[in-house]
Amino acid sequence: MTAIHVEEVRKRYGDFAAVNGISFEVAEGEIFALLGRNGAGKTTAIELLAGFQQPDGGTCRVLGLDPARDRAAVRRRTGIMLQEAGFFPDLTVAQTVDIWRDFTAAPRPRDEALELAGLVPKAGTRVRQLSGGERRRLDLALALLGRPDVLFLDEPTTGMDPEARRNTWDVIRDLARQGTTVLLTTHYLDEAQRLAASMAIMDRGEIVASGGIAETLAARSGRVAFRLPPGTAPDDLPLPVTLEGETAVCRAADPDLAAQTLLSWAAERGLRLAGLEVRTATLEDLFLDLSRSAR
Amino acid sequence: MSYTATYRLGTRLFWQDRAMLLASVVTPVGLSVGLPVLARHVTADGVAAATQLSQGMASILLSLTAFMNVAVALTTRRDQLVLKRLRATGLTDGQILSGQIASTATQTVILIVLCAVAVNLLADVPFPANPLVYAGAVVAGSVVLATLGVAYTAVIPRTELAAATTMPVFVVSAIAAGAMGPIREALPAWVGSVLDLLPTSAVVHALRTGEVALPALNLAVWAVVGVVAIRLWFRWEPRRS
Ligand SMILES: Nc1ncnc2c1ncn2[C@@H]1O[C@H](COP(=O)(O)OP(=O)(O)O)[C@@H](O)[C@H]1O
Ligand SMILES: [Mg+2]
Repeated sequence: MTAIHVEEVRKRYGDFAAVNGISFEVAEGEIFALLGRNGAGKTTAIELLAGFQQPDGGTCRVLGLDPARDRAAVRRRTGIMLQEAGFFPDLTVAQTVDIWRDFTAAPRPRDEALELAGLVPKAGTRVRQLSGGERRRLDLALALLGRPDVLFLDEPTTGMDPEARRNTWDVIRDLARQGTTVLLTTHYLDEAQRLAASMAIMDRGEIVASGGIAETLAARSGRVAFRLPPGTAPDDLPLPVTLEGETAVCRAADPDLAAQTLLSWAAERGLRLAGLEVRTATLEDLFLDLSRSAR
Repeated sequence: MSYTATYRLGTRLFWQDRAMLLASVVTPVGLSVGLPVLARHVTADGVAAATQLSQGMASILLSLTAFMNVAVALTTRRDQLVLKRLRATGLTDGQILSGQIASTATQTVILIVLCAVAVNLLADVPFPANPLVYAGAVVAGSVVLATLGVAYTAVIPRTELAAATTMPVFVVSAIAAGAMGPIREALPAWVGSVLDLLPTSAVVHALRTGEVALPALNLAVWAVVGVVAIRLWFRWEPRRS
């Protein structure tokens, strides 16, 4: 079953095309990542799907409904973590959740929502005293209150520390396992890789890669670089590399593992890998790759 | 879940916002009780003057407690992106706004009635001859002014300007109702006729004369103006510029 269907959707702000004919589908219970740099049009895409904006063209369907026309029905079955939204700063975390429960049909119990978001110790804290990452978790708690069938997450882990990020990823995975469809946007490549079953890469309002291509690209964007030991040829190495001048560059999904393979190969031969540099992929690497493969 | 939830929220926020309470409760209640009490004791025909003034003071409560309060509160919530978050819940736009309007109108009605009791005790102002007309005018006026306050947020560019932007409305409606002393008499007659068209003037007119038809028509027209303006121009998010 298709939970989200997007076909040739466009949205203009004045003369500027923020979303310029994007199409994708998300199956029920799937996690789908919309990956892109700032200004790519991710937020606009999510707001179109959640019924906050009207598209200028194309078709949006969420659970078979048109979010612009049947907004009330769509809202009842979706949860959304907006990229930016305000709280009442003087209310505590618990009070905020209680008020939002009031707005929700058949809401989760307050403690369950706080537990999910890892906010139990902060229940009595005023919202104005929360850190950016804690606010983001409160955002998540509110988005989950109505046990939504479809969850829109616009940059859900921005501002979170690594532990909170991992917790959030676990929560999202659990929800998907229970059948929730998740559409998330991110500019963290590792977030998309770890969570999403499929992804699309957006740039300047368009989808520049999606499905298998996007995943292959993402998988190749981890990077291990080192100076080729004298007397060795690239073909001698246990992994495929490309030469950038003196430097051999190996692209891999898991650059740590690739570095280990290369190092033990070198150790067996008494070679040194000078200037070794291991980098997990960033979106920028991926875009470099994209423009390279376009050439 | 429904608009009673936004009603409760609006009421809670109304009484929790200390800074706003000064402008939307302390000031209008102080004036509405203080000036009639003063008039009772310093003028020759004390009770009549106090009664006249007390009825005019309803316009101050309507323009501050209903109109200004809701306009400032909703502008603030719009600019802080709280309205946007409220829209992300299962609530409809109509529930969000009508719950807020009902809440603001209720606080206004309560304060107007309290002031009427206070001036009765402190300045011997008699209770309204026709309680039904009085109640109808106060309730309808509060709802209409709160609705117009919601609509008015469309012309308020940003939060810092909210109070300043609503001030002229307060001043004009106070002058119109004779709550600012004799300023009104000094104005040309046509200005007076225009001022009589204000919704606050219609309420004060109903309180003073017990007349129903004309004030009801006036408030109905303003209610339609408010609702249409909200549908056309209400902004849920700040402008990006
Ligand atoms: N309301 C708006 N008015 C004008 N331009 C906008 C508006 N919203 C977004 N944009 C522009 O549209 C582009 C895409 O924005 P957005 O969807 O927020 O991208 P992303 O979420 O990928 O960073 C940006 O260049 C942004 O400046
Ligand atoms: Mg964004």
